[in-house]
Amino acid sequence: MIENIRDLARKWLESKEVDAIFGLKEQDGGVAPYLFTGRVNGISELGKLTTSTQYRRLCYTCRPSKDNILSLMQRREPNMKIGIVARGCEERALVELAKRGQIDLEKIKIMGIACSQEEAKECKCERPYPNNLVIGERVEGVSGDENINALLSKSLPERLAFWRHELSKCIKCYGCRDACPMCFCKDCKMEQKIFTETGSLPPEIPMFLFIRFYHISERCIGCGECEKACPVDIPLLTIFRQLRRDMKDLFDYEAGIAVEQESPLLTTLDESPMRKEVTSGV
Amino acid sequence: MAEFEPKILAFCCNWCSYAGADLAGVSRLQYPPNIRIIRVMCSGRVEPEFVVKALSLRADGVLILGCHIGDCHYIYGNHRTKKRMAILERILGYLGIDPARVRLEWVSASEGARFAEVVRQFTEEIKKLGPNPLKEVRA
Repeated sequence: MIENIRDLARKWLESKEVDAIFGLKEQDGGVAPYLFTGRVNGISELGKLTTSTQYRRLCYTCRPSKDNILSLMQRREPNMKIGIVARGCEERALVELAKRGQIDLEKIKIMGIACSQEEAKECKCERPYPNNLVIGERVEGVSGDENINALLSKSLPERLAFWRHELSKCIKCYGCRDACPMCFCKDCKMEQKIFTETGSLPPEIPMFLFIRFYHISERCIGCGECEKACPVDIPLLTIFRQLRRDMKDLFDYEAGIAVEQESPLLTTLDESPMRKEVTSGV
Repeated sequence: MAEFEPKILAFCCNWCSYAGADLAGVSRLQYPPNIRIIRVMCSGRVEPEFVVKALSLRADGVLILGCHIGDCHYIYGNHRTKKRMAILERILGYLGIDPARVRLEWVSASEGARFAEVVRQFTEEIKKLGPNPLKEVRA
């Protein structure tokens, strides 16, 4: 599979379909994001192109500058056509970022790769395949999250007790926010004193994490980076997964499927757009 | 022990509900004194964070009052509110806070009687629900 990815990347570069391939590169025993350019040495480097479930920060925000790697590249080189190796979650992230004017999808060619069954299980992913599958075999996602069922079977006071316990572990490292591909605001509400007190731990329950739950609710792509990033294992995905279902239920909306599909929070009750001019491009 | 008197925060939109509250006042309609009104320019100004902050600061219930759909001074402000509150209710439920503590209602400037009625009903409901469980959390 990895050989197919490398071959296709080489083909794209050699045929000048893209000016560069953005992917992960094996380096010093680990992986890191790397831009494989069409120059000779860039193509010879393609042998080190790889994928990883542990490190998928291709379309993600760089902290602390709070800029997206891709939008930084596109701002600097607006005419560069970038090919990007993307799993299902990464492709959904790209779609959502384009929808919100962070990146220009016209200049991006996505090489959608499918995840294996083991990888899907590892991420508890419900949709381990991209919309446009280029390489790999589509496998079914993991459905029926036992964490969600356990939460929903609890009574309200039990749920509160559960979250009081979980949220009191929070050390306010902002890891969930920093790992989130959808968190790109320059001014983050989680840092504003008016909403959460500073200088004390644990942060205000449930205010601190509620801000994230609400802000990401309609755009969550279900990649699970927040939960992986959490050093104290707060089951954040339980709520985000359920919210993804709620969006389907409430607004018949699923994040990361199509750029044309506008966020339900930006449309009227009969789903027509509220504003005519949509900010697009970088 | 004295009967539980809830503290209820109401966000009223400037153009309809606040005027409705005013009308209830000048018409001398009686309604429970448990309510504290914050005037906002539009119910769309009410961020779900405001509601959670209010609950976290020991309010027993939060009312959000806006213009009827189609009457919004800012055309679509209350459409936004309605969608946001739907999401808010779900999240509150998952976190273990009764979504019934938050209610969104439409009250126009001419509906002074309806304003009093909404406040009366909501206060009754919050009395039944009892004190806000988040009071303990911030003890």
